[in-house]
Amino acid sequence: MGDHNNMKILLITTMISSYPGANTVGQAHLHYSPGTYIIRVPDPVVFPESFYMRCYEKGIDGIIIMSSGSDCPYEGAYRRLSERVARVYVQMKENGIDTSRLKLTTICTVCKAAFLKEINEMQKNILQARSEKEGVAA
Amino acid sequence: MEEEKNTQSQENESEEIRVGVYVCHCGGNISDVVDTKAVVEALKKKPNVKIAKDFVFMCSDPGQKLIIDDIIENNINRIVVSACSPTLHETTFRKALTRAGLNPYLYEHVNIREQDSWVHKGENEAATAKAIRLTAAGVEKIARQDPLEPIVVNAEGHVVVIGGGVAGMRAALALFKRGLGVTLIEKGDRLGGRALELDKVYPTEEKATDIVSQLENAVRSEKLDVRLNCEIEMIEGFVGNFDVQIRDKDSKIDKVRAGAIVLATGFDHYQPYEGEFGYGKSPVVVTLPEFNKLIADMPQSDKFTYKGKEIKNLAFIHCVGSRQVEGVHQPQADGRVNEYCSRVCCTATLHTINKTLDKFPNLNIFDLYKDIRTYGHGHEDYYEKASKRGVTFFRYTDDSIPEYAPSPNGSGATLTMKDVLTWNEEVSIPADMIVLATGMVPREISNLVGMLKLPTGTDRFLQEVHPKLRPVELANNGIMIAGTCQGPMDITESCAAAGASAAKVSILLSKKTIEMDPYVARVDEAKCDGCKLCLAECEYKGALFMAENYAHVNPALCVGCGACVAVCPPRAINIAGWTLDQFDGMIDAISMEELEPAMVPA
Ligand SMILES: Cc1cc2nc3c(=O)[nH]c(=O)nc-3n(C[C@H](O)[C@H](O)[C@H](O)COP(=O)(O)OP(=O)(O)OC[C@H]3O[C@@H](n4cnc5c(N)ncnc54)[C@H](O)[C@@H]3O)c2cc1C
Ligand code: SF4
Ligand code: SF4
Ligand code: SF4
Repeated sequence: MGDHNNMKILLITTMISSYPGANTVGQAHLHYSPGTYIIRVPDPVVFPESFYMRCYEKGIDGIIIMSSGSDCPYEGAYRRLSERVARVYVQMKENGIDTSRLKLTTICTVCKAAFLKEINEMQKNILQARSEKEGVAA
Repeated sequence: MEEEKNTQSQENESEEIRVGVYVCHCGGNISDVVDTKAVVEALKKKPNVKIAKDFVFMCSDPGQKLIIDDIIENNINRIVVSACSPTLHETTFRKALTRAGLNPYLYEHVNIREQDSWVHKGENEAATAKAIRLTAAGVEKIARQDPLEPIVVNAEGHVVVIGGGVAGMRAALALFKRGLGVTLIEKGDRLGGRALELDKVYPTEEKATDIVSQLENAVRSEKLDVRLNCEIEMIEGFVGNFDVQIRDKDSKIDKVRAGAIVLATGFDHYQPYEGEFGYGKSPVVVTLPEFNKLIADMPQSDKFTYKGKEIKNLAFIHCVGSRQVEGVHQPQADGRVNEYCSRVCCTATLHTINKTLDKFPNLNIFDLYKDIRTYGHGHEDYYEKASKRGVTFFRYTDDSIPEYAPSPNGSGATLTMKDVLTWNEEVSIPADMIVLATGMVPREISNLVGMLKLPTGTDRFLQEVHPKLRPVELANNGIMIAGTCQGPMDITESCAAAGASAAKVSILLSKKTIEMDPYVARVDEAKCDGCKLCLAECEYKGALFMAENYAHVNPALCVGCGACVAVCPPRAINIAGWTLDQFDGMIDAISMEELEPAMVPA
């Protein structure tokens, strides 16, 4: 638990799908790490590549973009978002940031298990990335 | 203490930012886990925060009064409430701000219940630290917030309904009864849509033509503007003010102005490909709609004769063209399979089976299904009745889809499959005739989809903003959907959806003007260098354009998706209320390494 609590995971949620989805998890009183911070946006397509890079610079360990996927109500937004995420991966690699620390996924209003699974997986990715970095440093 | 940063945006530069923070106990729902006093003490030390308080129920009248009094007496001009989910009480608190004379958008709601205390029980310290960071993020966001005004546009009290099936007629009538003008556009030469193809319908056993006549008579007696043999040539404009060009069969164009549009363009039948269960190759393989038409006018008889031959064994196959599996079924023209369930075909098939047995009681009927999904009130009765009448049911899976083999003499066929009901025993079913329970596919309306940039789902049907929260609205402001253009529905559901659409439209057009949330793109003309990068990102015609060398937004056409925001190098374009600077501020608060010493409670 300790390791998990000293990591910060940013969950970018959509107002219409994954934010209410996170509330459903809360209403079911399911548990996940307090190191998770949820922000809501009309659509994650709003964020430029630099936003993600700034998050890592500021000390965010992992980012999960919980989009509405191909069910996104905004024309063309999901395609643009996935293309952007691909470009963020390139920048992450260039800057020595493990790409497993960013995940684009789809979460709806009732995806409780998927929501928790994504957080657990991100925690594992972060720990793995940390231990690899420490290994390299040593 | 940290130096007070100038976090104000251009518009409120001259004004001192004075944030009031209110932390709710929610009975004990929050305070049993989150140390609300510690949150208050930490936030008091944050720049721009002038007042921080906690209270047992912030949403109660005394809770709201705390806020109102502080706005009036202590000149608080930004409010943050850390409490339950904003979906519950954001509006409550915005109204409180309005009552106190403050712009309601200078309010930020922070969720420390569903997304903190309820999910971090037993980790009180960590949950408290999280609440502090989230509340601080709320302060950062609201400190960068300008007052916003709702977008106001004129509202034409007229609606264009496209599609004259049961859903379109039902919507048109309900709108008319609510005092709105209605133009109902039907491309066919009569009203009624696909219901005209049906005989008696489940679950009421009324004649479909009677239902259509009732609706049509009402439409005609109310003297609605009905345009048969007409289609849409062009739609321009935006919510409240759509210019609709209607083309008649002589290609003459007429123009109608409408405040809103209801799409009720309906569905098409899935058309099996040639050879799918023998369809198109064998004359005794037909679809369910074809079979319904065939038996509608047949008299009752001991024998069922088709194409000069007596049919003794009749087989029905469910899920043809629906619930398809990638790699198992042949993809559709766009390369995708129809994964969705067509919902009405199980009940429609069992309904037809019972009707068939009413007419031809001596028939042997085999029903090959994947699942029986008779979900609606009274629908299961058709299944029970069919079982009692001796229909033999077989259940197949995607691993053992019935295999069709024509009889050597060409007069019938054998269907072979593993039957789940008898522990995967391989069965061969003799069939003199086969009926395919074909599902629904969306009607071809690509001209409308392209013209209006209508969102469609992976199933290609029109897609609502949210299936539960906004089930009949499209992301396009002022455009609603009714009936099977949204997905498979029966008549009852199509009419219910049409009623919901009409209610939504009449609320929208109830006044002479429409007020919309101001969360749309806004351009800071001083920052915009006219590079035009944003234009290529916007999918919504007319929402974003260049004039006087800088980008302009038409707030009535912009849907606030934010696609343009991400590509603007100088951050000149932003979604009002959700600017990138606000998000940066929030990230700074969330990523505070340790809680800043000044913010750690003593
Ligand atoms: C085999 C089968 C059996 C069924 N049996 C039953 C039953 O027993 N009971 C029951 O409740 N339901 C039944 N249903 C379902 C029922 O048919 C539908 O729920 C109903 O017809 C849907 O009505 P609608 O108005 O949404 O669409 P439609 O009936 O498809 O009407 C749409 C109308 O829009 C028009 N249109 C389309 N595009 C345009 C355009 N661009 N411009 C202008 N006009 C346009 C079309 O011409 C059509 O008139 C059955 C369905 C099937 C397939
Ligand atoms: S309603 Fe029944 S037949 Fe139709 S797709 Fe669904 S399961 Fe298959
Ligand atoms: S937010 Fe931007 S891209 Fe989206 S509709 Fe508005 S102007 Fe177009
Ligand atoms: S991308 Fe930005 S700077 Fe370029 S035209 Fe659009 S708003 Fe102006």
